[in-house]
Amino acid sequence: MTRWGFTVDLERCVGCMGCVIACKAENGTPPTIHWMKVVEKEEGEFPYAKRIFTPLRCNHCADAPCARACPTGAVVKRPDGIVVIDQDVCIGTMACMSACPYYVPYRWDGEDGYYGEEKVPYETVKYAAFKKGTAQKCHFCYHRIDEGRPPACVESCPADALNYGDLEDPESRINELLRQKKHFRPREDLGTNPGLYYLTGKGGGKVGGGK
Amino acid sequence: MSKGLTTAPFTLELRAQCHWDWKVAFYLYGAGSSAGLIFLELLLRRWNVIDEATALWGMWIGLVLALVSLAFLFSHLGPGARWRCLYVFLKPRTSWIARGAFIVTVLVLLRILILLPTVPGFTDLPWGEESAAGGLLRVAAMLFAAAFMAYSGLVLSSWNSIAFWNTPLLPVLYIAYSFLAGLGALPLIVLATHGGEKLGAVGAIFWPSLLLLLALNGFLLLIYIWGMATATVAARESVRRLVSGAHRLSFWIGVVAVGLVLPFIVAGLALRGGLGGDPAAVPWVIAACGAIQIGGFLLRDNFLRVGIYGYPV
Repeated sequence: MTRWGFTVDLERCVGCMGCVIACKAENGTPPTIHWMKVVEKEEGEFPYAKRIFTPLRCNHCADAPCARACPTGAVVKRPDGIVVIDQDVCIGTMACMSACPYYVPYRWDGEDGYYGEEKVPYETVKYAAFKKGTAQKCHFCYHRIDEGRPPACVESCPADALNYGDLEDPESRINELLRQKKHFRPREDLGTNPGLYYLTGKGGGKVGGGK
Repeated sequence: MSKGLTTAPFTLELRAQCHWDWKVAFYLYGAGSSAGLIFLELLLRRWNVIDEATALWGMWIGLVLALVSLAFLFSHLGPGARWRCLYVFLKPRTSWIARGAFIVTVLVLLRILILLPTVPGFTDLPWGEESAAGGLLRVAAMLFAAAFMAYSGLVLSSWNSIAFWNTPLLPVLYIAYSFLAGLGALPLIVLATHGGEKLGAVGAIFWPSLLLLLALNGFLLLIYIWGMATATVAARESVRRLVSGAHRLSFWIGVVAVGLVLPFIVAGLALRGGLGGDPAAVPWVIAACGAIQIGGFLLRDNFLRVGIYGYPV
């Protein structure tokens, strides 16, 4: 059984936000909604200060807290591990937003586009896919995955910092990367079993030890 | 405006949830207090502390409060999507919101059933106060009221994304606050039904109970804050924002001074006979009971506002 996973190489990410723009272009998300984010953090002090970039997106957790919290069953898990929101069932309680420790979901209440009240033709077409008052989040570009194409963020990354693949396939690209580089998963302590791995350095195995 | 961390800059910082706002706080307060009220009304009526008229008025007021708070919750749902609200019952196996929706619906229906025999035209229904069926309905209503009071805390404490809520003490605190608000509403109902005349009779039970409950709530709040002040980074930040940050005035003045200290002083004075006779005590009773309601709402509101996510990575 396939389980799609995702790796982010923190050593390679340069914070160009290419993935953020690619996601927006592909999925046409409204101005205040970001399915893909690259957050910055400053570390150290002058003259050794540096900025660290961390791409954040839905981790498509195996034990997704958003799916557990949703009272209507709108948050569903596909057999391949991708967590999607059924907008026909969502009633906008925002329980998923409270339950997600990565604060990934948003609720779109149908406000203006990028250029104010009047939407450009691109926005008119793209926003038609969103139901007003329902939650939305990254869906792993499943429409592309189903066609055998990579998610838009992965395809756009100029530094090859983002990768995806089947976690169940030992020969997949991401399993190869996990063997090559030290890695950790975001907030694994919360028991969400996320499908996203951050790569941090050479050597393979978990950060802090273990496989 | 979309909901979520829509305007947050792309920086790695501790962020407070901002989508569950005062409407949800009012729902948690209103429906919780209404459950506390019905529980106490039924209990005190069974013990003959209050008469039938007071109990009925309390039930009606509690029912209206529950319906109003449900209306606030309805308006909090997604515009356009809220009309599918009956889907909310679909996943009670994992979702506390679905369980809560079930509990509050049954509770409202039980109240309507209990009140129906008092409505002209329905007085012949076989589940009046004295009947076995009526007794059964009342016991069921008390059970569901207790379940709802617990639910108002469990819904928040079940998520580990926000450390400040993720503690078994939260349902305990919310149950205690629901009882306090229910008890605080009782003298107002007595005043509404009988004027100041029966206040003295209820006062013999009311003031010592209120004093005890206020002390218990104060103690629970203290250990809650103290516990969170020694917990994770996100929980400590929540405490900081609550007691010395942006929400300090609302917390210290609204929750502590108005919601706990003022009624405590009034209850203390009443017990020592410092409030004078019934007519003179009325403004104090109204002030103390109103203050309890304000404190109860502000507690829920502040707790929602300082719900801070841990670092996502």
